[in-house]
Amino acid sequence: MDSNSVSSSVKIAAPPKELEREPLVLNNRPPSWITNQVVGIIEGNTPRWWWVTFIFSALVTLLVPIYVGYLISTGVGVWGLNSPIAWGWAIVNFVFWIGIGHAGTLISAVLFLLRQKWRTSINRAAEAMTIFAVMCAGIFPGIHVGRIWYAWWLFPLPNSNGPIWPQFRSPLLWDVFAVSTYFTVSFLFWYMGLIPDLATIRDRCKSFFSKFFYGLFSLGWTGSNRHWRNYEKAYLLLAGLSTPLVLSVHSIVSFDFAVSQVPGWHTTIFPPYFVAGAIFSGFGMVLTLMIPLRSIFNLHDLLTKRHIDLMCKVVLATGTIVGYAYGMEFFIAWYGGNPYEAYCFQNRAFGPYWWAYWIMISCNVITPQFFWVKKFRNNVILVWILSIFVNIGMWFERFVIVVSSLHRDYIPANWSYYSPTKVDVLTFVGTFGLFMVLFLLFIRFLPLIAISEVKGVTNYADPHHPQGGAKGGHH
Amino acid sequence: MKNDATSPKELRGPDYWRSLDHLTASPKFQQWAEREFPETVLGAPDGKSRRDFMKIMGASFLLGGMGLTGCRRPEEALVPFSKMPHHYTHGVAQYFATSMPVRNSAIPLLVKSSDGRPTKVEGNPDVGECGGGTDSFAQASLLNLYDPDRSRYFLKSGKKSNLGDAEKNLAEISNKHKSDSGRGLHFLVQSTSSPSRIRLEKLIKKSMPEAKWCVYDPIDFEGASRGYSEVFGRSIRPIYHFDKAKVIFSLDCDFLGTEQDSSAHIYGYTKGRKVTDGDDGLATTNRLYSVESMMSLTGSNADHRFRVTSNQVFGVAAAMMDKCFEALGSSDEDAGSPIPALRTSLRDKSKEIPEHRSKTGWSAKWIEESVQDLIAHKGNCLIVAGQRQPDAVHQLVAAMNTLLGNVDKTISFIDREQHDAITIEELKLACDAEEVETLVILDGNPVYDAPADLDWKTAQRKAKHVIRLGYYEDETSQDVDWHLPMTHYLESWGDNRSSKGFWLPVQPLIAPLFKGFSEIELLSRLAGQTDTKGYEIARSTLRAIIGDSDFEAQWKQCLHDGHHESLKTQIVSLNVQAFDWSKLTLQIGEAITEEAQFTQASKDVLEVVFHRDASMDDGRFHNNGWMQECPDPITKITWDNAILMSRRTAVELGDLKNEELIEVNLEGRKLTGPVWIQPGYADFSLGMALGYGRPSPGRVGSLGDRSVGYNAYSLRGTTSKNFTVGGTVKRLNKTFPLACTQDHWSMEGRAIVREANLENYETKRDFAQNMDLEAHSAHIPHDADGQPKQIYKHPYTASPETKSEIHQWGMAIDLNTCVGCTACVVACQSENNIPIVGKDEVANSREMHWVRIDRYYSGEPAKRSQSDNLVHDDQQAYEEWIDDVQVVHMPMSCQHCESAPCESVCPVNATVHDHEGLNVMAYNRCVGTRYCSNNCAYKVRRFNYFDYNKRPLDKLDRGPWKTFVTEGFADRPQDEVNLVEMAKNPDVTVRMRGVMEKCTYCTQKIEAAKIAQKIKARDSGDIEVPDGTIKAACQEACPADSVSFGNLLDPNSKVSIAKRSPRNYSVLGFLDTKPRTTYLAKLRNPNEKMPDYFKMPLSTLEYKREMGSPFESHEHHTHEDSHGDHGHNETHASEDSGKGGQH
Repeated sequence: MDSNSVSSSVKIAAPPKELEREPLVLNNRPPSWITNQVVGIIEGNTPRWWWVTFIFSALVTLLVPIYVGYLISTGVGVWGLNSPIAWGWAIVNFVFWIGIGHAGTLISAVLFLLRQKWRTSINRAAEAMTIFAVMCAGIFPGIHVGRIWYAWWLFPLPNSNGPIWPQFRSPLLWDVFAVSTYFTVSFLFWYMGLIPDLATIRDRCKSFFSKFFYGLFSLGWTGSNRHWRNYEKAYLLLAGLSTPLVLSVHSIVSFDFAVSQVPGWHTTIFPPYFVAGAIFSGFGMVLTLMIPLRSIFNLHDLLTKRHIDLMCKVVLATGTIVGYAYGMEFFIAWYGGNPYEAYCFQNRAFGPYWWAYWIMISCNVITPQFFWVKKFRNNVILVWILSIFVNIGMWFERFVIVVSSLHRDYIPANWSYYSPTKVDVLTFVGTFGLFMVLFLLFIRFLPLIAISEVKGVTNYADPHHPQGGAKGGHH
Repeated sequence: MKNDATSPKELRGPDYWRSLDHLTASPKFQQWAEREFPETVLGAPDGKSRRDFMKIMGASFLLGGMGLTGCRRPEEALVPFSKMPHHYTHGVAQYFATSMPVRNSAIPLLVKSSDGRPTKVEGNPDVGECGGGTDSFAQASLLNLYDPDRSRYFLKSGKKSNLGDAEKNLAEISNKHKSDSGRGLHFLVQSTSSPSRIRLEKLIKKSMPEAKWCVYDPIDFEGASRGYSEVFGRSIRPIYHFDKAKVIFSLDCDFLGTEQDSSAHIYGYTKGRKVTDGDDGLATTNRLYSVESMMSLTGSNADHRFRVTSNQVFGVAAAMMDKCFEALGSSDEDAGSPIPALRTSLRDKSKEIPEHRSKTGWSAKWIEESVQDLIAHKGNCLIVAGQRQPDAVHQLVAAMNTLLGNVDKTISFIDREQHDAITIEELKLACDAEEVETLVILDGNPVYDAPADLDWKTAQRKAKHVIRLGYYEDETSQDVDWHLPMTHYLESWGDNRSSKGFWLPVQPLIAPLFKGFSEIELLSRLAGQTDTKGYEIARSTLRAIIGDSDFEAQWKQCLHDGHHESLKTQIVSLNVQAFDWSKLTLQIGEAITEEAQFTQASKDVLEVVFHRDASMDDGRFHNNGWMQECPDPITKITWDNAILMSRRTAVELGDLKNEELIEVNLEGRKLTGPVWIQPGYADFSLGMALGYGRPSPGRVGSLGDRSVGYNAYSLRGTTSKNFTVGGTVKRLNKTFPLACTQDHWSMEGRAIVREANLENYETKRDFAQNMDLEAHSAHIPHDADGQPKQIYKHPYTASPETKSEIHQWGMAIDLNTCVGCTACVVACQSENNIPIVGKDEVANSREMHWVRIDRYYSGEPAKRSQSDNLVHDDQQAYEEWIDDVQVVHMPMSCQHCESAPCESVCPVNATVHDHEGLNVMAYNRCVGTRYCSNNCAYKVRRFNYFDYNKRPLDKLDRGPWKTFVTEGFADRPQDEVNLVEMAKNPDVTVRMRGVMEKCTYCTQKIEAAKIAQKIKARDSGDIEVPDGTIKAACQEACPADSVSFGNLLDPNSKVSIAKRSPRNYSVLGFLDTKPRTTYLAKLRNPNEKMPDYFKMPLSTLEYKREMGSPFESHEHHTHEDSHGDHGHNETHASEDSGKGGQH
């Protein structure tokens, strides 16, 4: 059906062209088109590129069990750690992945509460990314301890040793709670959002197994009014519940550093700065993932340049906050008059790890500045390249914080240098494989755009819009 | 007692009953009691009869039995002593007095025996030599006892033989040479102090007069004795009284480090170094001048240091002698006196001293002023010359000490056993001439350490019959007729004399682990004696000295005390007039002609100095993991020796880099080793430590497939035993990694080690507190008691019930007396079962030492730019300030902070505080997050990155593929484990991988003392451990007595007194961690007339550049100091209020 002819026939309520917002779904695509387009990805044949990337990623993932097995059987010494640098890549990677995992819940919860309708096109994939990133992150704190078989002592489980409880003053314990809560809530939120879409797939698919599994996971969704009412209430509740978590999880991760007394770690600016950095890196990763998917699956009408433009603006804002934090750290180091603190920051910029610092600054502070210019924001390829720089920069930010602070602290006799080993590097590479495997499975089996929600922001869902309400009858 | 079996009732004790029903034997009770499970209310469950129960249980047992046949209790045979040894309680350690022989001296020891095996070596405080301290060698000698590579078998031409055949062979030799009066019998021995060995040597000489004795020590410590003997015309050995000397002058003499008896010297030196108030109320201490080529421990502790190449030391001594004559010797210059001639030659010699490379060039003034200082302290100064210096220098030193009136004051003498021994060169000639019928080599390792040009390996084989007594089957044992295993001193009887003349017993703590002889047991067999047991030999020797009367009692007393007061050799009273000036003149004249060939070192002809290593000695500790891993006190390099040189040498040789391999050529011999640029080194001098790079090393000394270090002996010839000029260097464009435990050299102006000159100290005794960060912070609010206000309450204030009111432990370390000798490092390793981790792990900063000694260099701040402190550690070796440096040493271990940052971050409560102020580690609870280490400001926590105790050092990182599939289990060989386990302290756990560990203040010793005190106290309730009972291992080993440990609640304890010193300060105290270990600031005593005098120690000048002067008093500060921060004043105000109550 030609939808343009419908819109041209009713012109009374339409606002003047120059005031009209760019629509969130281009070409006035009807709901059926959206369903076909998104579910079509799952229903179609598995493309060859998918198999190639999947097998490659799966092979890369094998690095994780291999090197984690080596680590557990032999000792943490297989990493490059030493005294004074007792935390290295494992913690850097942990914070990096947790940071990546920030965007999803922010997009789905905070933007939902703030009525940012553009979130609908990206929230599903971003939430999936969040869950997979948190899974990758979760590997590291588990394996970085010296005696992995006793890592469960970090949980407050009843035991016969006294009983001895964990130490509630330790930020590492807070991490355990913060990350596990974050993961649980994010997962529930994601899954709940999926239910109407799973039901849509169930209704369309033909094979018995698909029907069975999609039917199982759609939990008997019929799309009745009552279902939708409950669903939307629950969604709002979970959004409300997730919002503080978005702020808390990275604040608490930052406490691992801020609560300690190591110069370069012990700063009150860390919680907001870490949250901003996490959003920054999360949006960077969303851009990195969504831009190729948009082309591959021909989703230009759903994931429009406006979406990319808006994400670039978030990247610009958070990147600038991060840049301000870098500057403020230096200012306080000087203004605070503590020579140890002052040395730490001088050493960051000009000491043996100067290269890491300047990679961080160029990627995190300079890169987002391109996004002041609309032309650059609209150049999808440029945005994609810059988003990768954001990811690199944010990994280096964690490296700079963890390693350059530890390597030269209070007593010069302890000073040393840290280099990762093959095991450090390949375990990290392996987690990228894991992330990709999970993400590829996601795009193959689950709708990567929230169908029902996108429909809700089209004109067709707007009862006041000429196309809206029951009049169109396109369902 | 008669036991009447018919009336058992009468033997019953008092009756007890469970209830009144029981007493009355009511039927209800009977029924209840007879049920099998009287406690259960229910009977058997419905439908399950007793029979069913038995069936099910039977089946369960069967299943359990089939499935778990491997699970049973280990069989343990409990074999009781059939006769209980005297004074022995299982698990309670015993201590035995003994002594460790070291060439011509010995170290008095008390050795701990845990259930019949020696586990820890401690000094014997009753022998007033080193106040109970030891050196690191004595500490580590324990591990040699349990060395799995030690010699275990009697070998005849390399094949296993037995004790009987060996004894038969020895008897044959003895008989043969008795008949030909010893013709062709040659002994190659190392020097000894053992009276028994000397007695046996005399016996052999008597019965075999033509037997020849060759004494060869690869490192010769007899120079000083020869020098003094020569000029006094009597065979004497000097004893230095460093404690009585106000001014000490060292000529290339590392008496605090690598010279013999260093622990005794440190004891004396630090006694004189302690700051005391003089008669005028001003603080006094001794003053140390050092002239040397290497940066030695002595040089690092010196108040003034002048670096010259070792061959220029003669020139310095000559110049000093000349100055002494100028001031003191004029009366001797009458007609016919040899002195004018002597002075002429001295002046010629002294012209060779190079100018110091500073702008002004102050060498002459430096010598002039230092000699003036010596003269001003006539009679209580002391000049010592180093072991490497030629006899002529020792003679000059003898002359100067005589002129300065030091004889019998700061230096005295004992008689020295005259040896008419031949040299190894002469022995080699005899071998070449095939005059040697039988060659007996006692200990030593001449194939490895004899001068390279002798080609000793070939020479030795020319002897017809070679018998070798050796502790290892080493290079020398390769091609001999008989190799006999030697016993360790901890498993043999014997005797020694210390360098001060004390008779010391050698008493075994364990039967020989493997069969073998001690030196005296072998000699007694060769002498044809009937008493071939070491016990009898030692007793006979003592009996000959003290006589038969009351011998047994005295013998027992000697063994108990570890010495015998009446057996102290008499001090020789010398007639100073006997000084033979004409002999001196003659000798010096000769020496100068000989020395004339010694050219000035330059980049084309470098000086090569061979020195004793602080870890290997002459190579005898090559297979000792503790010593291999003990960082060199100066370079901090482990597991290797390096070719040490100054920055300028490296630059002029073409910008040599650290760890670059170079080839050194000397007299046609070549050697390859890695470069290490050492601050404070003399230019154009290369330092090479002996004792590394053994051609056929043991398991530890090989670290996989190669020997540790390079073999400096391969470069050393007969004419270059100590040092020589003429080395050339070739670059190889290869590198060789070195494992150094301290990468960064400078303290960067931080107030970590705090030091002042004596005169600064006079102006402000509490300068150390004035260097706290708070002293420079503005607007710190203070409490009423003058303490800075804190946000958080002190944990003991917050919960006082967690604090013990009886004991609160603390430690104070006096940096003024700590010389940095590392004895504490090895002692701690021994006491606390600290593993060695190997070179690769040390190279990656993973060493496990619970106490480490930080060593910092400070240079003139003017020579440093602000950005110097940001460079990569590889670049610091090329900075100019390192040429002339001051050095500080600081022992650093867990500070036991009261508000410990490690504790609050541990997620599993593995590190917690106890009620007596210890920060304790619960190893079993530790999961190894390493967060505590990150949060420790002192970085004293050590993490077990691998299973260091179980795995071989070269296979620590072997993965499961290799471990389980291709190469089998990576565990250490069983013989190694069995032996090394015996060295472990049974009172301390051995930690597995993944666990954090650190200093515990030797909590096992604290607990033992508390238990002992509780037993002693019984009902009196006096359970407070008296001060001095507990000595931490580091404190026990410290020859400088720098460490005090004890109860802080006792105001009279040593540690409380130390902490009341105005010099007391906490490192990083501003963090408010409230460390229980505090430090007493270091003081320097420079002479302001000297050209290298600085108003403040260089590190304090660096500090001043950053933070302002710590010596300015309150008023002074407000008026003049442009630094002008008011917080400074506030801090002072509060301090003053504490004292005078003014504010």
